[in-house]
Amino acid sequence: MAQVILKDVVKNYGDVYAVNHVSLTVEDGEFVALVGPSGCGKTTTLNLVAGLIPMSGGTINIGDRDVTDLDPKDRDIAMVFQNYALYPQKSVYKNLAFPLQMRKLPKEEIDKRVQAAAKTLDIVHLLERKPRELSGGQQQRVALGRALVREPRAFLMDEPLSNLDAKLRVQMRSEIKRFHQDLNATIIYVTHDQLEAVTMSDKMAVMNGGFLQQYDSPANVFANPVNMFVASFVGSPAMSLVPLTAASKDGKVVLQSPEGWEMPLSDANGRKALSAKSSKVVLGGRHSTITVHKSQVPGAVPGKVYTVEPTGDVTFAQVFVSGAVVNVSVAPTFQLRPDEPVFLEFDQDRMHLFDGETEMALKLA
Amino acid sequence: MTMELSAGAAKRRGAGGWRWSGRIFLLLLLGFTVMPMIWMFITSLKTGFAAMQYPPQWWPAEPTLENYWRLIDPSGNVGRDFIQYFWNSIWVSTLTTILAVVVAVPAAYAFSRFRFPGRNFLFFAVLLRNMFPAVVFLVPLFILMKALGLVNTHGSLILTYLTFGLPLAIWLLKGFYDNIPVQLEQAARIDGATRFQAFFLIVMPLSTPGIIATSIYSFIGAWNEYIYAYTFLTRHDQMTLPVGIQRFFSENATDWPGLMAATFMMSIPVVVLFLVLQRYFVRALTEGAVKH
Amino acid sequence: MSTVPGQAIFRDVPEPRRIGLSQKVWNSRFDYLYVAPALIVMLIVIGYPIYYTIELSFFNTPASLALSAKQFNGLDNYVTILTSPVFWKVTWQTVLWTVLSTFFAFMIGLGAALALHREFAGRGVLRALLLIPWVVSAVAASYVWKWLYHSDFGAISAMLTQVGWIDKPINFIDNTNTSLYALIVVNVWKEFSFAMIMLMAGLQTVPDTLLRAAQVDGASPWQRFWHVTFPHLQGVSMVTLLLLAVQNFNSFIIPWIMTGGGPAGSSDIWITHIYQLAFGRQRWGVASAYAVILFIVMMVLGYFYVRALTKGDDARAAG
Repeated sequence: MAQVILKDVVKNYGDVYAVNHVSLTVEDGEFVALVGPSGCGKTTTLNLVAGLIPMSGGTINIGDRDVTDLDPKDRDIAMVFQNYALYPQKSVYKNLAFPLQMRKLPKEEIDKRVQAAAKTLDIVHLLERKPRELSGGQQQRVALGRALVREPRAFLMDEPLSNLDAKLRVQMRSEIKRFHQDLNATIIYVTHDQLEAVTMSDKMAVMNGGFLQQYDSPANVFANPVNMFVASFVGSPAMSLVPLTAASKDGKVVLQSPEGWEMPLSDANGRKALSAKSSKVVLGGRHSTITVHKSQVPGAVPGKVYTVEPTGDVTFAQVFVSGAVVNVSVAPTFQLRPDEPVFLEFDQDRMHLFDGETEMALKLA
Repeated sequence: MTMELSAGAAKRRGAGGWRWSGRIFLLLLLGFTVMPMIWMFITSLKTGFAAMQYPPQWWPAEPTLENYWRLIDPSGNVGRDFIQYFWNSIWVSTLTTILAVVVAVPAAYAFSRFRFPGRNFLFFAVLLRNMFPAVVFLVPLFILMKALGLVNTHGSLILTYLTFGLPLAIWLLKGFYDNIPVQLEQAARIDGATRFQAFFLIVMPLSTPGIIATSIYSFIGAWNEYIYAYTFLTRHDQMTLPVGIQRFFSENATDWPGLMAATFMMSIPVVVLFLVLQRYFVRALTEGAVKH
Repeated sequence: MSTVPGQAIFRDVPEPRRIGLSQKVWNSRFDYLYVAPALIVMLIVIGYPIYYTIELSFFNTPASLALSAKQFNGLDNYVTILTSPVFWKVTWQTVLWTVLSTFFAFMIGLGAALALHREFAGRGVLRALLLIPWVVSAVAASYVWKWLYHSDFGAISAMLTQVGWIDKPINFIDNTNTSLYALIVVNVWKEFSFAMIMLMAGLQTVPDTLLRAAQVDGASPWQRFWHVTFPHLQGVSMVTLLLLAVQNFNSFIIPWIMTGGGPAGSSDIWITHIYQLAFGRQRWGVASAYAVILFIVMMVLGYFYVRALTKGDDARAAG
């Protein structure tokens, strides 16, 4: 296995930048998830690493080699495709053997490796079948197997689970994770599902509009999103964002709503709010950091319940606050009715503040 | 309640009415379609005398295979020529087909997969060929063939047949390649194949139905071609069937049963080919026109 | 650059280098190898004739085809054509032939496709039988229909007499009033099956769920056709109509074999007319000018044809 380094990677079609100066390093044996909404450039980035499309700029290193100008076949990588891309005319055995045949391995060696891979993935009984005779989950395993037989320097996976049904997806998720741990494999994994990224990866690279937004461990991305996009993309339900105005009042900093109420900030948060480019500040809070009250308490802000969704363990609710929707959660015993007025208390230590102009997270200098 | 019931019944009757009018329409259409073919066959079983009667004998009083024997009897004048025409047609059509497919496969693949500058223009130019009537090319090609000394050779036909065979073949095959997921080749290239190996080892075997279909099209197109053969060939030993069978036809004394037997024989290979390989044929034609 | 949250970090990086057309062509030089053989063949047998036809159309050529003796006469050939009453007569007949053949072939094909869409016993056989006219050569079709239309022994006249609709045999094709229409019937017979398969394939793309939804919403069969099926058929209908129109515009075999354009030019269409001018009367220059006019008309139709065919083609991504 090897390290993968992307430096200033660009892919543009005329004025449209699919990938815009992306730099990141995937350490040897690391599982990195490229995640973002559709059209964010994550699959293009993966294809650039694979060498399937020519780059417009930048360099890519795999291990100690600069592979920028190399053909896919010379990059020594394996890839798992969203639609599996199993060769329909070949049996499962021949699908697995193909990459080895292309590398001109002796027949016995090919057979040994195919059998071993089939055993690992529990598809020995399927070896003589054609791909169309397999279920989605089985095809998925064969696709993994074809990547596995070769012992490549890195695995690239393009939304490998998105064609599976929900239950199978959860199962395969843990199998791929297991696979990563057992092989100590370097994996770059593309997904649009932030939950998949958070649960599986060592590090996640959040992309949007061709730009790399944030590259960090899931815990850090979750706790310290660099901007409003990352904040609203990672986490379920998403972080709620309420646009407000910062103002100084009697030596204290407060956030004011056009609806007339204001919310005092702690000293640290107040300094953050004042570092914004203008007075426009966006308040962000995850449901777990917001307490719902039926009556006014100091620091809480008024809102109106919109929907209530009991899930058993916990009840989620959406509350209108200053024109924005805020997701909150309460204990199932806590009764809420639509249109009921409530008061939300944001945890000052765990709330997020964003610059309303640049949309970047506000941090203490 | 009763209202709803009667409304439902009316709707069902309506649908049934549509179905019945559809069946009647199909039946009439079937009559229109096969009647000429049947009449062709019936006439071919008649003697010259039996054919020239009015009202006609709807079924020949004394059916005879005489007209067919005459066509395939190599010892007679008619038979000798007919067999020659038949072989000429097979030879020209087969060679055209092979050449068209060999040249069209890489071109169709490139048009389907690559995005090289000028791709759209070139594809447009290729397709445009089928827009032009043969007559536009006839005069200059006739002059060209004369200059090349190709008049009265099969080379002239094969070369010109390629010009209408190729665009169609390229278009049909492109339809097939478009429907083969590009990820298969990407997977192959990652698995260690070169671009050419990916095409040759993965895509080619998958496009076999397309190649079969394209071959039938080229073959039938060449088999049925008339104008160029009519213009370029004047020697009897070179003629293909569509042109050759004119010898049964002279304004005053047409041998109708003989002509019908000859057209029937001429139609058999393409109809059989078509019926056997219908599956590929229909799919190919519509592949490019209908986006799935 | 678009405004994307977070882009501020990257604002100062340089633009990637632009690549010019010649560089692009060079980069894809191997792609051209695939299309080269096809293009070379087409260039010889298409490019050259087109050029030559255009050139000849400006010359007065001797009947002998001794082309060294040809004389430049400017636009004379074009003037001759456009001022000739025959041209306008033939043009009108060409329009009638093309429009009527296309319309009826399409409508019959549509009816057959709709009737065959539903699964029933014998459907495959029926479809195969209905496709036969399209596979059979136009030469065979022309001869058999000529025999069916025969003025003395024709089966069609005989049938009509037997049913009692007419008293004596009708002369269908040796009649200036009916010849063109008689030929159109043959052409429709030959071509409706093409429309049929194209539209049958088109019908398969109509989602069943939509039809069922319409049924649940209380739409009658006709309404279902008009509001659900028909809109889905529009793309394939365009292609089919264009292909039919082009094919009919370019027809030669049926009129040539059945009537030779006669009697008295009553079934002459452009192609048969040009053929006669060139190979009958050896007026190569005028025939070429005719061909050029035809060519221009076809270019316009061709534009729409290719546009219909390649629609959405570039949307499909490829490596």
